[in-house]
Amino acid sequence: MSHDELNEALGPSLGTDPFTQGDGTLPYLIRLRERSLRIVAEAVPTRAAQTTAYEEPQEPPDLGPPIPELPTFDDRDESAGALDRLAGMLLTPSDEDRLAQLGALLGGRPYDEFGLSPRVTRRALAFFKLLYKYWFRVESSGHAVLPEKEGAILAANHGGLLPFDATMIVCDGVLAAKPPRLVRTVVDRWAGTLPFVNVFYARVGQVVGSRDNVRELLRLKQLVLIFPEGMAGIRKRAADRYVLQPFHLGFVEESLRHRVPIVPVAVVGADDQAPVLWDLQPLAKLLGLPFFPITPTFPLLGPLGLLPYPVRYEIAYGEPFRFYDEYPPEALEDPHAVRYMTEQVRRRIQEMVDQRVLDRRAKRR
Amino acid sequence: MRRVLVTHVESPVGRRVVKALYHDPDVALVLGLGTEAEPSYLAPYRGKVAYQRLDLAKARHLQSFLHSERFARARPDSVIHLPFAAERAGERVPGGVHSLVSETRRLVEECAAKGGMERFVYLSSAFVYEPEPGNGNVVSEAQLLGFDGDGDSLVRAWIDADLVCQGELHGTALRMTILRAATIVTEGGGFLNSPPLAHHDPAVGYDPMLAVVSERDVARAIVLALHADRPGIYNIAGREVFPRSQLGSSERRIAGIALPAPLGGALGLVERLIGRSHAQGAAFERYGIVPSSRLAHEALGFEPQYRIEVRGSGAARRIDTVRCR
Repeated sequence: MSHDELNEALGPSLGTDPFTQGDGTLPYLIRLRERSLRIVAEAVPTRAAQTTAYEEPQEPPDLGPPIPELPTFDDRDESAGALDRLAGMLLTPSDEDRLAQLGALLGGRPYDEFGLSPRVTRRALAFFKLLYKYWFRVESSGHAVLPEKEGAILAANHGGLLPFDATMIVCDGVLAAKPPRLVRTVVDRWAGTLPFVNVFYARVGQVVGSRDNVRELLRLKQLVLIFPEGMAGIRKRAADRYVLQPFHLGFVEESLRHRVPIVPVAVVGADDQAPVLWDLQPLAKLLGLPFFPITPTFPLLGPLGLLPYPVRYEIAYGEPFRFYDEYPPEALEDPHAVRYMTEQVRRRIQEMVDQRVLDRRAKRR
Repeated sequence: MRRVLVTHVESPVGRRVVKALYHDPDVALVLGLGTEAEPSYLAPYRGKVAYQRLDLAKARHLQSFLHSERFARARPDSVIHLPFAAERAGERVPGGVHSLVSETRRLVEECAAKGGMERFVYLSSAFVYEPEPGNGNVVSEAQLLGFDGDGDSLVRAWIDADLVCQGELHGTALRMTILRAATIVTEGGGFLNSPPLAHHDPAVGYDPMLAVVSERDVARAIVLALHADRPGIYNIAGREVFPRSQLGSSERRIAGIALPAPLGGALGLVERLIGRSHAQGAAFERYGIVPSSRLAHEALGFEPQYRIEVRGSGAARRIDTVRCR
């Protein structure tokens, strides 16, 4: 259908368009443009003419050197980074291989959905590897239970003021697991509000604990580290160390919903890194903090007092729970069943922790 | 065979939609509406595409159009409404963004009342969601909307228009599809659906992740929504996400100095008191929203076909749209 036929079929224009006013004849400018388009179309040789006509090979016109390809952001930062060179010195070729395997999972993207940057992760790992090897002297066991490619929820006990337990589990996943896996820790919403901290967490692959985030991570078959005790785990007093606090239920629900195993993880050492003597709740409320701890060194030594003691860490991965094989999907809607499953996980982790604490005490004697 | 009414065809997304519909064998006719003179790009598509100059923000214009012989003969059975696709970063609609809400309300009401209209596809923005603390938060369609009365006027307008369309989601008169798109990247490297890049200063210590999507993919999603006949709300996003510092720094205002968040909030209060609409301290300056387009993939068959690459830095920055292999 031609334009005129279409316009005729649709009837007269409303008249708000100056280009189609009056009796429907096209104004001079439109006609001129159509004419010029026709002339250009006629001037272009047809495909048949192009294939049949012989043309002498011509030298390409001399336009000077080609414009260099602009580097991507990653390349630019790579060339500028003293931190990258330092990381290169601290990491072994084996570590670099492991990081390369993890980076390949992003499919060439500089960032993943949650803000993970392989470059920042490499820098951070170089630093935290020092803590992993020389400060906390981490010993880990049971990596075989970690799925090689599938998603899983790692449920661990939480302790210490600053989340070095999470950091050491992440390092362990990259440096000791076979194949290397990047563990994505679910962090408290409060941590997501902190300037600089929120950006750093995102760049090294940690995510704020929302249901959508956890579901997306599990859909992407990632290892998701959850501390079911929540904030109660890290603010418990020294007298309660290695006594697991009540668990939140969300991780079991997500495990049932996405049919992923729950791997119990016991961390021994974290509760000794900064023993909390008292939690000044009134002051915490005044300052807008989740808690205000008093430790042997904080606030006595100022911010330095928050640094962890050089305690020896032990990380153990237990046999996974596969509740989705034992319970029907309707169990998700039954709070008693979910609570029962949660308690089973909690007891298992408590047993693993107790066993290792007893072993430590026996060794000291 | 669909007969489609497309609003704001002069916008970059509108142009892509018209071209896609022209090549669509299941579309018989496209009636494009725009506030300006007929865009020159329509010249090759005249066999199937007609254009009507119309200011939808004016009730009188819309009424006379809907009761005209032209509309009666065109008999459109579907509407694609792109009010905010025309909103380029750094520019503002002369009548104010709230005129776009009014036009959306009017158009939805008239289409529902008139009868004969079956489908209504509305392009919304992912910035309607309430940002949660943290960066790069993936949000589904179930996420709450950000009802922040002190927020950016454009974001509030998006939410208002989105709610107007949501009102028809469960009605019987129209089959409504709302597409909430991430920051749209045009072929020239410009941004649509992205108020923070142009009008907001960053807060110190925050660098929210922004999901991006190519304008071509958005047009594809719109056409898919038109044919899929799956009313509902769908997020539309590409594969890539970038920190705001990489995307936004080239569009930052001269006064765009990074401020600590509390200071930004205080400055925002002062700005509101003196009548400036682009207030500081909005949550999306600190926290990223990454819409998950999984539902659109499952229900509409949407899969991004273009990826966005950011190259160079400073004045040499280039944002390319590259077709996926």
